[in-house]
Formats: sequence, structure tokens, C-alpha cells
Amino acid sequence: MSEPLLEVEDLTVQFRTHDGIVRAVDGLSFTVERGESLGVVGESGSGKSVTFMAIMGLLNRDYTLIEGEVRFNGYDLLAMSDKERRAIRGDGIGMVFQDPMTSLHPMYRVGTQIVEAVRTHRDVSKDEAWAEAVEMLRLVGIPSPKERARSYPHEMSGGMRQRVMIAMGLVLRPDLLIADEPTTALDVTVQAQILDLIDDLKRELNIGVVLISHSLGVIADVCQRVMVMYAGRAVELGSRNEVFLTPTHPYTWGLLESIPRVGADHERLIPISGSPPSLIHVPPGCPFNPRCPHRFEPCDRDRPALADRGSGHLDACHLTAEQKADIWGAREAGRTAATP
Amino acid sequence: MKKRRWVIATALAAGAGLVVAGCGGGSGGSSSTGGSGGATPQKGGTLRLETQDFGYTDAFDPTGEYLGLGWGLLNQLMTRTLVGYAHRPNEPGNVLIPDLAESVPAPSADGLTYAFKIKQGVKFGPPLNREITSKDIAFAIERIATPSLAAQYPNYFQNIAGFKAFSDGKAKTITGIQTPDDKTITFKLTKKQGNFVYAMATPAASPMPREVAGCFTKAGDYGRYVISSGPYTFAGSDKLDASSCKTLKPISGFNPTKNQTWVRNPAYDPATDDPKARGAYVDKITYDINTNAKDIFDKIEAGTVDGSPDTPPSDVIQKYATSSSLKNDLKIYSGDRTWYMYMNLTTPPFDDIHVRKAVSYATNKADLQKAWGGPVSGSIATHIAPQTVYHDRFPKDYDPYPYDLTKAADEMKQSKYDTNQDGVCDASACKNIFFVTRNLPQWSAMTPITQANLAKIGIAVTPRELPTSNAYTTIQTTANKVPIAANAGWSKDFADAATFFVLQDGRNILATGNSNYGLIGLTASQATKFKVPYPAGGVPSLDADIDTCSALTDPERIDCFINVDKKSMEQVVSWLPYLFANSVETASPALTNGYVFDQNSGEQAFVNEWVDQSKQK
Amino acid sequence: MWQYIIRRLVWSLVVVLLVTLLAFIIFYVLPSTDPTIAFAGKQPTPEIRAEVAKNLGLNHSKPVQYLIFVKHLFLGDQYGWPGFGKSFNSREPIKGEMFSRLLVTLQLAIGALIIWLTLGISIGVLSALKRRSAMDRGAMGFALLGISTPVFFLGILGLYLFWKVLGINPGTGYVGFRDNPWDWFQHMWLPWVVLALLSAAVYARIVRGTMLDVMGEDYVRTARAKGVSERNVVIRHMLRPTIAPVLTLAGIDFALLIGGAVVTESVFNLPGIGAYVLDAVGQNDLPVAMGVTVIAAVFVTIMNLIVDIAYGFVDPRVRYT
Repeated sequence: MSEPLLEVEDLTVQFRTHDGIVRAVDGLSFTVERGESLGVVGESGSGKSVTFMAIMGLLNRDYTLIEGEVRFNGYDLLAMSDKERRAIRGDGIGMVFQDPMTSLHPMYRVGTQIVEAVRTHRDVSKDEAWAEAVEMLRLVGIPSPKERARSYPHEMSGGMRQRVMIAMGLVLRPDLLIADEPTTALDVTVQAQILDLIDDLKRELNIGVVLISHSLGVIADVCQRVMVMYAGRAVELGSRNEVFLTPTHPYTWGLLESIPRVGADHERLIPISGSPPSLIHVPPGCPFNPRCPHRFEPCDRDRPALADRGSGHLDACHLTAEQKADIWGAREAGRTAATP
Repeated sequence: MKKRRWVIATALAAGAGLVVAGCGGGSGGSSSTGGSGGATPQKGGTLRLETQDFGYTDAFDPTGEYLGLGWGLLNQLMTRTLVGYAHRPNEPGNVLIPDLAESVPAPSADGLTYAFKIKQGVKFGPPLNREITSKDIAFAIERIATPSLAAQYPNYFQNIAGFKAFSDGKAKTITGIQTPDDKTITFKLTKKQGNFVYAMATPAASPMPREVAGCFTKAGDYGRYVISSGPYTFAGSDKLDASSCKTLKPISGFNPTKNQTWVRNPAYDPATDDPKARGAYVDKITYDINTNAKDIFDKIEAGTVDGSPDTPPSDVIQKYATSSSLKNDLKIYSGDRTWYMYMNLTTPPFDDIHVRKAVSYATNKADLQKAWGGPVSGSIATHIAPQTVYHDRFPKDYDPYPYDLTKAADEMKQSKYDTNQDGVCDASACKNIFFVTRNLPQWSAMTPITQANLAKIGIAVTPRELPTSNAYTTIQTTANKVPIAANAGWSKDFADAATFFVLQDGRNILATGNSNYGLIGLTASQATKFKVPYPAGGVPSLDADIDTCSALTDPERIDCFINVDKKSMEQVVSWLPYLFANSVETASPALTNGYVFDQNSGEQAFVNEWVDQSKQK
Repeated sequence: MWQYIIRRLVWSLVVVLLVTLLAFIIFYVLPSTDPTIAFAGKQPTPEIRAEVAKNLGLNHSKPVQYLIFVKHLFLGDQYGWPGFGKSFNSREPIKGEMFSRLLVTLQLAIGALIIWLTLGISIGVLSALKRRSAMDRGAMGFALLGISTPVFFLGILGLYLFWKVLGINPGTGYVGFRDNPWDWFQHMWLPWVVLALLSAAVYARIVRGTMLDVMGEDYVRTARAKGVSERNVVIRHMLRPTIAPVLTLAGIDFALLIGGAVVTESVFNLPGIGAYVLDAVGQNDLPVAMGVTVIAAVFVTIMNLIVDIAYGFVDPRVRYT
């Protein structure tokens, strides 16, 4: 296999705030390959968005401390100058955000906004850039792209706006697309269309995709690999089937149990008790420890590293592979059996 | 007269009570601080004046102007009259001298005919440049008689035979004016009028060219086209196309909202005039509007402007009065103006003469003078018209009501409103008496003094302070029955006491716009007509005395009116005069030695002033 | 769009007429001197007052007077179109005087507008970008001073400093541009600055606040994610949404200056329309007061319309049908 598209090693992001130093991302490591979609799932505050904002250089350097290594196409993004990093934004790495109504500038036509992306990085004439933009709009499935390019964002539906955002993110054929909650603000029916679109484009352009979401359903739909984040760390990282069918971390178990499954009658939803930890005064040991029903002796002292403990994929839990398989089996059975 | 001038003048002399008595102006009356200081007049240069507001009453049309400044500018600079003035301070400035006429005529033996001979070589200035004839003066009188021109003093001319017939449109000329040749003009009156020659000295009686003035039949329209007969004319008059009424365009030297500029009149021959009356030293006079009052006086002090007819603000007066270097630049002269309170003869308790006398004794005029700003602002008034109006013949020590609370109480005891005769007014009519005054600083300062004074004799007034024009409107409406007010003042039209006693003539009482506030000489039928009560004992009248004196000429006329004055003070007791006002102005360093006061108009004698050009900035 | 404009214009006309009616009523209802007495002279006898009434057009009933006024306004009078009549005080036709004074006020207002927009927007934007820096705090302090200092005080202070003490200003008064351009400028710069300072301060605060809001918008983040340089992010993405509301404010403020610059005009002795109507009202000169009211009302309503339409061009979310 060739070199990974994106390689993150021991990424740490800290914010200086009034209340203290917040460790939003704490020693995160993962990779993204070309041609695959990596799903990053976790609740609010897990650090999933911050990770990629830090990678893109969109955080305010004045009160942020970023450490670690981020290699993209061989270059260390964190060691670059601001100017170099800016050259990569939009060109080497494209980004799509959550709410296309507020993420697009209300006062410029959508074509103009895409043209800006083009001309920021390429020395081409307005007409050429405009043609590129129209072509991209066609590619993302917008009908009558030439007329539509002259529309303003408020003249389009939510789904169309998100297609525009995707077009804008991909118009320069970047190697990596980061999509941060791309469907959260959309109707359910439109969600599927957008996810399909991202998937098709990934194949067509042969790029890597990072799909960030708090929705397991979205992730399960389109991602080949999944990373589960908690308290700024990766707690499980594996293929989609591995993580969804044979999860090996108590947090992931809790996640899967708290969503309804299609086809199951009368199942009980079991929430995870407790709440996520404060990121300011991070206790030693496993961050999930206070809420974990399976904690044992080393959990409050030793931080479990992200490693393959015999399950076949990576997780950060001190339990052995057999223990994990057993517990998960029992929990699954208990869940379907618990019918009144 | 000159009500408008007061609005500007007194409003700006606000609170001059700060000026310490004894500094600057000295005793009021006719003092002058640093007049023409002995230096020889310089010829040439420009006299630069500024004002907040021209205040012309008829847009500078001589037929309708009636305030001092308009008269001064017209009479001195542009409109010569048959007889005129020397444009000097004090009595010399109030005496009639010949101007266009060869002499000041005495009336015929029956007192009904006045004949004038016009000098040769007197001409209208550009663009006409022609000899002035008797017909031009006759035309001026016709204008006065034309109702649409709203002339201001038709009453001084209506005794000319045929005046009313012309006014009513029944005659094409005024039969009482005869012009047998170009240089002779005779007036025939229907009844004796002792001050007729004074009337002929007003700008309305100056010759006017029919070919220009005749184009204007509405009041004020002629103001921008005035053709000069005097030493100066509007800049740009030579450009006026007077070939027909249609070709007339306003002369550039007069912009009613911006400025007036005068240059020398080339058609004026000084040999036909008295150099002491019109020195005409400067080559040019500019008179600009400056809306920033403070700025005007800053500029005068800095020397970039020479003078202003406006009264300086009180802080400027104080600065000048207390500074050894500026004292001589503060010019103070008698203004020929009386400030007075009046009592309404028909409203209780003032329908009782004893009450009115008690009020007169109880008023401390020295305190009122202090409230006004001390001796700089004027001298204490003890009779109706100021000394200058009587040509200095009024007895100097006349004071019928010196401040005396005992005498006041004695008078009050004789009144029916003092029910227990203890010297204090106690009937219900003595309380809650409506008292009108102005809401400007000097008047506000006087109000508590007056209240305290009257309280001592048991009279309680409820003061109502109003803006100037509202105060006048209130007391001018007879049906309002205002019992007592302090907002009024009056100045002469010319140095003749008749011009003051028009205010005390019962036949002049009107329903609105009335100036005889005390209703002196009111008859019973008038009382019904104007809806005012008619007191049981009747109302004292001066009408017969005024008529007697009006037929006389000076000096008998003057002495006759002096007696009317005394009678008004002692037997009518409606007016309570308290101040003979001064004119106070500042002059720039360039003007201070050349400053001259024109007693007739109560303004500067621009025509006799000169400037030291080296001191102009 | 045209339908909208026509409708607005018709409505503006109605508004202007209503304003003139109100002004007319106020003139006669508020206690003041009856013009037939005020302009009748020393002894306002009934005959003279009747003459004056005829001369000034006051010999009709009040409603008729108003209707005559409206008629002259639309159809012109003997002095031309629009028919504003003649001043009670100076007996001059008002039209010429009013337009020349309007020109002076416009010169004053436009100069001040340029200065206060430039100053206000640049200070506001810079303060927002460098929030909490010394520059920001200094700028907001200046803003507070500018808002709190009355115009007449600032004007007199300015005159004292630049004319009396430093001698670099020629003082009060107005010199026409065609007469002497340099002199014109010398007389205008201080009034411009004095008039502009207050608005500049207000606008700096407004712009700063708006800019801070805009800085946190999502589309700014998108622009950065596209790789746009910070300079272009500010200029292209932040300035437009910040300035758009400010421009509409400025349009209205400018229109209000037509009558509202009277204090500056008085202090600096500029023959503007504000000083003109102030004098007229004090002297009960009805035709001038009405004429200026019409001009000012027309200005404000037209400016309103222009500003609303212009906003539609700047912000495409606002559209008119």
C-alpha cells in the first residue's frame, strides 16, 4: 500500500481560557487512505471538529497550543508557515461545513463564491474559473448549472446549498475532503442524497474523505473505517464492520445500545449514565473510567493506549479480547431479550 | 417705536447686572466715552459692519421703514430730505437743519401752509443721474398715501389737504401739495400740526423717482432698488436697467439675507450739503450678516470688523468696561428710549388713583436700574419722555415719586381698597393680580424686586414671563384687561414729545394691536365696544391737552408738552417709567477714534465716521 | 421593482403634503404674533393690517390659505416653479434664496458625510479587528467623547483654537467655491470636521459592533477554509455585510442634516438652509418656514427611498415586489 494520504501522530490541542487550559484533543493518532472514507464519530465536546480545524490551521493561534505531527502527502502541516498552510487549504484539502445557509456568503452569487476558491489558488481568468465552477455544479448534480451559478444562496433549497458547498470544496480536486456534519442540517430524505453524492465523488475523483458526525447511522452508511472519539482521544479505530458488529470498547457499546435498530421490536434503549469529563482537569487513567460499568483495577491509573489487544482492530481499553467479546455478547443478548 | 430693535438689543445685553456701577459709562444720559478723540479724520477706506439680523421693517423701502437703523442708514447715506439732521450726538443731533431745502421754513401766519425751496444741483444717483425736482417729493407723499404700500406714519401727513381723498382712490393727486416749478413745493394743511417739519425729515418724505419707485405698489418691494440722493449709493446701482419697469432687476449691492454694500454716489455734490452733517469720509461701507453673535464682537475686538449696531453680550460689555485698554472702545449714549411699567386705569385696584400713587412711591427705581445692569444701561426715569426729546428743556431735578414707603402707605390709606386704612391694600382685588413681563434676563431680574416692592403695600402680583412678541400681543389685546405689565418700552420717532403721547391718547385705543395699554382717555362707549369695565369715577384723559400742544411749534410746543408730561405723571398716573435707556456699542481699534453717534436715529452716524486704515486687520 | 418605486413615490408625496399641513397648523396654533400685526409697523391700525393681510396673502380663511399654498407648490406662482411665494420679512421671492442656501447646506453635509463615513468605518473596522488592544480602547474613548460633546461647544472650541490661537483658520463666514476655491475650502474644513466628529464617533461604535458580529459568522470560516488570504477575508467577506447597514443609516442621517445642521451653520455663520428657517420661524415668516419644510420633507422621503432601494442591491436577500 502506498503512503497514507493523511497521517496524524500524537496530536494535542490545548486552549487557554479563563477557567484554565482545556485539552480538547489529547494524543490523537490515525491515518486516512486515498479512496476511503473515514468516519469520525463522537458526542459534542469529543474533539472531533477541533481535530480537523487544527489540522487545517483554522484555529486562532493566539490562545491555542497545537502539538504533534500531521503529515499530508508527506508534508508536516503543523511545521509549515501560515502562508504555506493557506495554500493547501481549499487546494490540497477541501472542507465542507454543517449549515450551508450560514456557511455561504449571503451577498454573493454561488458561482462567484466558487470562482473565488478557484482564483485564490490558480492563475486563471474569471471566465475560465466561472466555467470550472459551472462544471463542478453539474458534477454535484445541480440541474441547469449555468443558470444556477448566478443564484444567491437564499434562492436555493437546503440540499442544493450543501451541494454547492461540496462543489466549492472539491472544485480544485483536492486529495482530501473533510466533511464536518454535512447532513445534520438537512432533511432526512436529502441526507441520503448528499451522502451518496460524497461517496460517488470519492470514487470518481479518487480522494480520501473524512466524515465527521455524531450520528452512527450516517457513519455506518458510507464509511469504510470508523474512529470513535471520547474526551479528545480515539477510543476505538477499525473497519466499519469491526466497529459496528464487534465493538471492543465500553463507550462504543454504550453508543450502539442507545440507538434504536430497525427491525427490532420493543427493544429498550439504554443510555450511558453519567456525563463526559471536564477537559480542564483531566484525571489520570482512562477517561471513560467514571462511567464504565466494567472498570477494574488499572483503569483509574493507567491510561490505556490505542492498540490491538488481540481483537483484530485498535481500541483503548485494558480489558482482554476475550473479555470484550464475552461482555459484548452478553449485552447484545440482554438487550434483545429485555422485552416486557 | 423701535420695538424690534429692542428684541436684539436687550436680549443680548442679558444680565448686565454684572457690570459694576461706576465703571465705564459713567452716569447715564448723554455721556460718551471716547468720542472723536481729537484726531483728524482720515479720508478713504472701508467701514466694515456686521449684524445678526438687519431687522428692516419694510425691506428697506423708505416709505415703510420705521426702526432707528433703517432710518439712520437711509437718512445719512441715501435719502436726503427737505430738512434733516446733523447726525451728531445729543441735542445738536436732534435739531432740524436744511438738507435739500435752502432753509427750514416757519409755517404761514395761520399755521397751515409750509413752503420749501429746493437747492440747485441736487441729483439722483446712478443709474438715473438727474436733477431732483419738487415732483419727486410730491410723489413720495403720494406713496405714503397709497394703502398698499403700508406706510408707517401716515398720521403725520394726513393733515395735508387731499391726502385722504387720494388714499381712498377718489383723486389722482394730493390737492394740498403744490409744485409751481421744479424747485418749489408748498404744503397746505387742513389743521395746525406743529411737528410738520419733523415729518418732512423722515425717509418716507425723501424724493423718489417715479420711473423706478412707481413700478412698485406693494410694501417692501422698492427696497432693493432704492435710488440714492445722498453721498452713497448701493454698489451695482449703475448696472440697474431703469429703461422700463420690466427691465428692473434687484441691485447687487443689497442682498436681504446676506449683506449690503454702499459705494460713493458720483452724482452727489458736497457743495449742496453741510460737511458737518455728512462728512462722508469712507469710500465704502459693507454691512454683513453674521449669525454668530459672539463672533461679531470677537472680530470687533480683533479689528477684523469695525462695528455693529447690535448690543454686545453682557460679558463683552463687562470686559470692555473693566479693562483700561478697552474702556474707550465702549460707546455709550442716551438712547432716547423709555422703559416703563403701566397700570390699567380700568382694572381694580388700579382704577383708584391713590393705589397708583402708592405703587409709584413704593417702587425702588435704583434697584430696578441695578437689575438692568447699572448706570451703563441707562439712567433712572422720572417722567414720560427722555430729556433729549424735550431738547434739554425739561426741569432737571423733577422727581414726583422718590422712593418713600411712608408716602406710599399714606396714599394707600386714602384708597377704598385699604379697608382698615393701615396703609396696606387688603381688599380681595389686591391679590392675585396678573402681571405680564418678558422672559429675558433683565426683566426676570426685575420681577422679584417689583414683587417685593408691591408686597410692602399689600399688593400681590402673579408674574407671567413671556417671550417678547407674546408679551406685546397679550397687553395689546384690550379685552385681556391686563392690569399691570413691565415689558413695554418706547422711543421717539423724532425729537418731539407728541411721538410719545400718541400712546396716551384715548382716540388711539384699538381692540387688538393697541398701544395705549393703560387705556388713558377711555370713554364709556369705548369701554362697551372693547368690553372693558368703566370705573365709576371715569377715566382721566389727556386728549384735549395733546390737541392744544400739537398745534404749536417749538419752543412753545416743547414747554406745552412738558406740562402734559407732568400732568400724566401727577394726575393720570398710569405710566411708571423706570429707565431712560442707553445705546451701548463697541468699536474696533480702527473705528474708536472715528466713532460718531447719530442722536436722531439712535444709531451710529455712519456718514460722519472715519476709520484708521492702518489699524484695520 | 418599478411598481415598488412608483408606489413609494406616491406615498412620499402624501407624506410630504401631510408634513406641510402639520407645519401650517403648528404655525397658526402655537402662540406667536399675528403676522398682520408683526409686519404692520408701529400702530397696527385695522386699515394697515388689512393692507398687510392682502399683501401677504393672509386675507383668506386659513384652510383656503393652505390650499392656495398647495396649488402654488404644484403649479408655480408668479416667481416660477415651484411656487414658494415671497418672504414676509424681506418681501423677496423665496425660491432663489432657498436654493442657494440649500446648496451651502449640501456642501456642508456632503463634506461632513465623506469625513464621518471614512473616519467612522475605518476606526470601527480596525477597532474590531484589534479588539481590546490599546488602539481599540483609545478609539472607543474618542467615540465616547465625540458623542458627548455638543456641536456648538466643539465649534466654538475649534474656532478659538484654530482661528484665535493658531491663526491658521480664516474664521467664520462662507466664500463661494466659484469665487475662490482655496478660500472656500479654508472656511469649510473646520465646520466639516466639527459636524462630522459626532457622527464619526457614533458610526465607529456601530461599525465596531457589527464587525464583531460578522467576524464570528460561518461564512467567514468558510472563506478561510478556502484558503483566502486574511486580507481578502476582511475586504471581501467582512466589509460588505458590515457597511451595508451603515450606508442606509448614513443616507438617513445625511437627509436629516438638511434641516439639522443649523447649529453648525449658526456657529460658523454659513448661510445654510437651517439657519434660514431658524431666523424665519423666530420672525413668524410663514412662507419661508413652509418652503423649507417642503424641501426638507422631500429630501428625507426621497433619501429614504434611495436608501431602501440601494440596500436591495447590496444585500440580495432583501428584494422588493
